[in-house]
Amino acid sequence: MTWKTQINAIWRICYFYGFLALTRTPVMFLAMFLTPLTFLFFLYVVAPHSLLPFAVIGGILFSALYTGNGMMNDCAYLRLERQLQQVFVTSPLRPMAWVFGMAFSELAWTLPALGLFIIVLSLVVHLTVLSILALLGVILLTWLLATSLGFLISTFFRQLREIWPIGTVVFTSLSVLPPMFYPISAIPAGFRWAAFVSPSTFASQLADQVIGLSVPTISVVPALSSVPVEVAGMVALTLLFMLMAMRLARWREP
Amino acid sequence: MDALVARSLSKTYRSARGTVQALDAVDMSIAKGRLFAFLGRNGAGKTTFIKIASGLLLPTAGTVQLFGVDVVEHAREVREQIAIVPQEGKPFYHLTPREHIVEYLRVRGATGESAKNRTQEVLEGMGLLPYQDVPAMVLSGGLQQRTLVAMVLATEAPFLFLDEPTLGMDPFARRQVWEVIRRAARKGSTVLLTTHYLDEAEQLSEELAVIEGGHVLYQGGAEALKSKVRREIRLQFEGGFTAQELASYGEVFTERGRITLLTTRNRVEELTRLALARKSAINVGPVTLEEAFLTLVGRAIEDEDAEAAA
Repeated sequence: MTWKTQINAIWRICYFYGFLALTRTPVMFLAMFLTPLTFLFFLYVVAPHSLLPFAVIGGILFSALYTGNGMMNDCAYLRLERQLQQVFVTSPLRPMAWVFGMAFSELAWTLPALGLFIIVLSLVVHLTVLSILALLGVILLTWLLATSLGFLISTFFRQLREIWPIGTVVFTSLSVLPPMFYPISAIPAGFRWAAFVSPSTFASQLADQVIGLSVPTISVVPALSSVPVEVAGMVALTLLFMLMAMRLARWREP
Repeated sequence: MDALVARSLSKTYRSARGTVQALDAVDMSIAKGRLFAFLGRNGAGKTTFIKIASGLLLPTAGTVQLFGVDVVEHAREVREQIAIVPQEGKPFYHLTPREHIVEYLRVRGATGESAKNRTQEVLEGMGLLPYQDVPAMVLSGGLQQRTLVAMVLATEAPFLFLDEPTLGMDPFARRQVWEVIRRAARKGSTVLLTTHYLDEAEQLSEELAVIEGGHVLYQGGAEALKSKVRREIRLQFEGGFTAQELASYGEVFTERGRITLLTTRNRVEELTRLALARKSAINVGPVTLEEAFLTLVGRAIEDEDAEAAA
């Protein structure tokens, strides 16, 4: 199969697993909105309104990051319960085309939520074309990072029962604990650098900065507050996770 | 030319609970264009063999070549040539049978027009036309399985792996699927199927192999298998005999009060006379593939038990 047919295959997978599933199971729309919207509502009620832009950015990145959780669930489900991954992988389709097809499907499900949050964001901060493009770049990297991680983890499950606890541990620690819904300044100054253990902190700090929210200098490692370093960190982490997904994923059982 | 050649193929599963030898130095070959059945009990090693041969599982030792290409070393090349119906696979819940076939063909590189035409042909052949636009989630288990098989058979891949393709189907549906499988073989595909329906193996396959405990016990034709067990006649008795009494005449199976004895032609007269004297209802016929299979595998199990006891 040529590159052109592989790209066409990615589109077909995205079409039938993403768009068709979404139109036939509209509750998926709601599911993608509900969790980040709930956090947003909660913060709107209890936190000072000056923190609202941080919470909206949190909603955007949460949606992008949760494509990884969806990817992990769906890939494990299609491999273990439906055995469909085996049907697609034992074909001229390249395994990576299958992964990208699935990743785009996850993105398709998230697009309505992302769209809504970006609209909300435009109501609470002034957005320029440049800041929107930069934000889209951060979303793209977050999606690539999260789906690579989700796929990689999915290949190690031996039964469906393992998905729920592992998914909760991994994606909650990546999305709720780090400073995504709140500013990093809420963490004591001496410990802020530790938040960068989570890749989502790079994403949130970058997103905060590109839309003009104030980000404090990170003591101990001040370079972490610079945009070029954050971009480099985010790109490097995304590439690392993609490489790990390509190299470590268990396409063939050992 | 051989489509598949396995040499000294072994697979050991290791876990905290110990090791399981699923395949033990299996040598097997399947000629190109052949419809080949792989028979064995649950856990005998059939699915492990299929997983290795289709590149889904790595062997512990040995090699498998498909059309002369090593499946471990050149997985990408091999994938161009194959399609697989996995054991107990299920279709996407939200897609219709038509969408399954069209989309799978398109993902494999078919153009829109050819995918559409081929889909129509396969839907018709598999008896799925009345359900072509019904989402799989509301189809019965048998129809879902038919959808999955249709999706794979539509590819006309040079090598088709069908792991229990007719599981859960009614007898009419099974015959429809058999016909589509035969058509694929006539068009040049090599088919390796596993099944627990021995009548299916007898009807469909040109050659078969029997596997037990990771060893291939037999490879050849169905008739030759019957000869191999050296039992030509099946006698079924209702009343008048005990299984122990008949054991010296051949292989004995008891099922729902009926005793089945597989024996040689020269013992039939004596046994018929005895049955008449004891007023036992007797039924005589040729040995079936299922009975030959039971005999062959039964002997292998007995040998293994005897070895273990020694």
